[in-house]
Amino acid sequence: MDWMTSQGKGMAATSPTNAHPGIEIEQTPTPRPMRVAIVGAGRGGTALLDVLHQIGTIEIVGITDKDPLAPGLHRAREINVTIYDRVADLIKSPGLNLVMDVTGDPAMVPVLHELISADADIISGQAWRFLWTLVQHESTLQSELLHAEKLAGIGSFAAGIAHDMNNPLQLILGLAENLTDEKDLDAVHAQARDIIDAVKRTSAICRDLTSYSRRTSLRQDCLVHVNGKLDEALKIARYAVALQDIDVRKLYQPDVAVKGNPDELLHVFVNLITNAVQAMEHHGTLTLETSAEAGTTQVRVSDTGCGMAPEVQNRIFEPFFTTKPPGKGTGLGLYNIKNVIHRMNGSIGVASHIGRGSTFTLTFHDEYVADERTTQS
Amino acid sequence: MSEFKSGFFVGGESTNGRVLIVDDEPDIRKVVRMTLQKAGYDVLEAENGEKAIEVINSGENRLLLDVIICDIRMPKVNGIEAIAYFRQHYPRVPLIVLTGFPDTDMATSLLRQGVVDYLVKPVEGEKLKASVARAMEQRELAHL
Repeated sequence: MDWMTSQGKGMAATSPTNAHPGIEIEQTPTPRPMRVAIVGAGRGGTALLDVLHQIGTIEIVGITDKDPLAPGLHRAREINVTIYDRVADLIKSPGLNLVMDVTGDPAMVPVLHELISADADIISGQAWRFLWTLVQHESTLQSELLHAEKLAGIGSFAAGIAHDMNNPLQLILGLAENLTDEKDLDAVHAQARDIIDAVKRTSAICRDLTSYSRRTSLRQDCLVHVNGKLDEALKIARYAVALQDIDVRKLYQPDVAVKGNPDELLHVFVNLITNAVQAMEHHGTLTLETSAEAGTTQVRVSDTGCGMAPEVQNRIFEPFFTTKPPGKGTGLGLYNIKNVIHRMNGSIGVASHIGRGSTFTLTFHDEYVADERTTQS
Repeated sequence: MSEFKSGFFVGGESTNGRVLIVDDEPDIRKVVRMTLQKAGYDVLEAENGEKAIEVINSGENRLLLDVIICDIRMPKVNGIEAIAYFRQHYPRVPLIVLTGFPDTDMATSLLRQGVVDYLVKPVEGEKLKASVARAMEQRELAHL
C-alpha cells in the first residue's frame, strides 16, 4: 500500500504545469484544458494515454502504477507524460480536474477519495469499464476511417493504373501478333524477351497497389527508413496524379529513420505528395526533404503550387474540410495524417503563400531524448 | 500493296500512306510502327504533343501526313491540347485516339470534335489497321 498512500518525493516536482497560468498568448480564446491524472498503466492506461494525448483540450498531468515495468509507463515516456512514483503525489497535483482509476482494484477507490481535493472527480469501477468500451470503439473507428479514406483515394488511381497496365499489354499483344508469322529466329527471341519484361512490369503494378491497399495492422511500430518510404510513396502517387511534368527534387539526408507503422507512414507520404502535385496543376517543383539532427527528425514535402489563404490553412486538419469539388476529396486526408503523426508522437505543420506554394513539415522527436530525461531523474 | 492509293509518293516509293504515332511510351510507338509498316504504311513517331506539332510542321509532312494516331496522357503538350492544335491547323488530317484509359465522356467529346476513332489499348493489329484504313478513306474524301 506504500504506492497508494505515502508521500515520498517522486517526480512531482517536474510536473508539467503551465509556466504562465492566466496569460493568454493566442488570439482566439481556447478553453482551459481539462487536467486529468491516470492511475494504472496496464492495457487500459496505455489506451487512455493514446486517446487522451491526441485531444488538445485535455492535459494529462501524469500517470502512475505500482509496477515500474507496466506498459503504460513506457508509453508515457515516449509521449513525454510525467510518471509519478506514488499515487498521492499525482492526486495532489495542483488544479487536477479528474482522476481516471483504471487499476480495477476495489481498494484503490477509498484511497483516492481520501486524497482527492473537493473540486475534482474520480472515474473508476463500472464508469471506467463503460469508458473503456468507448475507447476501444474509438480506436476501431479510427483505423476504419483511415482504411476507408485510403480505399476512397484508390478510386483516383484508375487512370494511372489503366495507363500503366494497358501500355505493356499493348506491347505484349502487338509482339505476340507479330510472332505468329515472324520468320527471323533472332527477332522471335528478342520479342519473346520483350514480352517477358512487359509481363513483369505489369505485375509490379499489382504488387505495389495490393501492398498499399491492405489494411494497416495496428501497433506494428518499427524503425522506418524515411527516404525509402518517400520513394515508395512517389511510385504509388504516380497512379493518382500526373507526375510527368513535375520536377521532383530529393534532398535526402542519408539513413534517416523514425519509429512508426510503415504502412501508415506510406499512406501519409502518398497523401502529402498527391496533394502537393494537385496544387501545382501539372507544372512545378515537388521537393522531398529529410533531415535529422539533435534528436529531431524532419520530413518536408513542398510544392510550388497555388498555396493556401490563412483561413484555409487554419482549417485543413479538420475532419471533412476540403477545398476540392464534391466527389473529388473526402476531406479526411490531412485529418487522418494528423492522427497518424500524433500517434507517432510527432507533429505536423504547414507554411503556405498564395501563388508561391506550400510546405508541410513533419517533426519527430527522437525517443532517445525522452529516455535520457527519464533515466536522469 | 504498293498500288496508288492516297496519291502521294514518299522518297520515290509509293506507300499506303504516311502515319504519325504520338505516344510517350517507346514500346507503343514500336508496336504500332511494326503493325502499320507491315501493312505498307510509312510511319513517323513523336513522343509528345510538342514533338508531334514539330513533326507536322516540318517540310513535306505539312502536305504528306495522312493520319495521326495520338495518345492522351503525355508530358509537355498532352493529347487533348495536341488534338485541339491539329483540328485547328490541319483540319483535313484525320485523327485516331489510342489511349490506355477508357473514358466515355472524353471519347464522346473527342468524337464530337471530329476525331475518327477512339481506341483503347490494348488494341488488336487488325482493328488498328481497319481504323487507319477508314481514316485514309476520310482523308481521300477530304481531297476531293
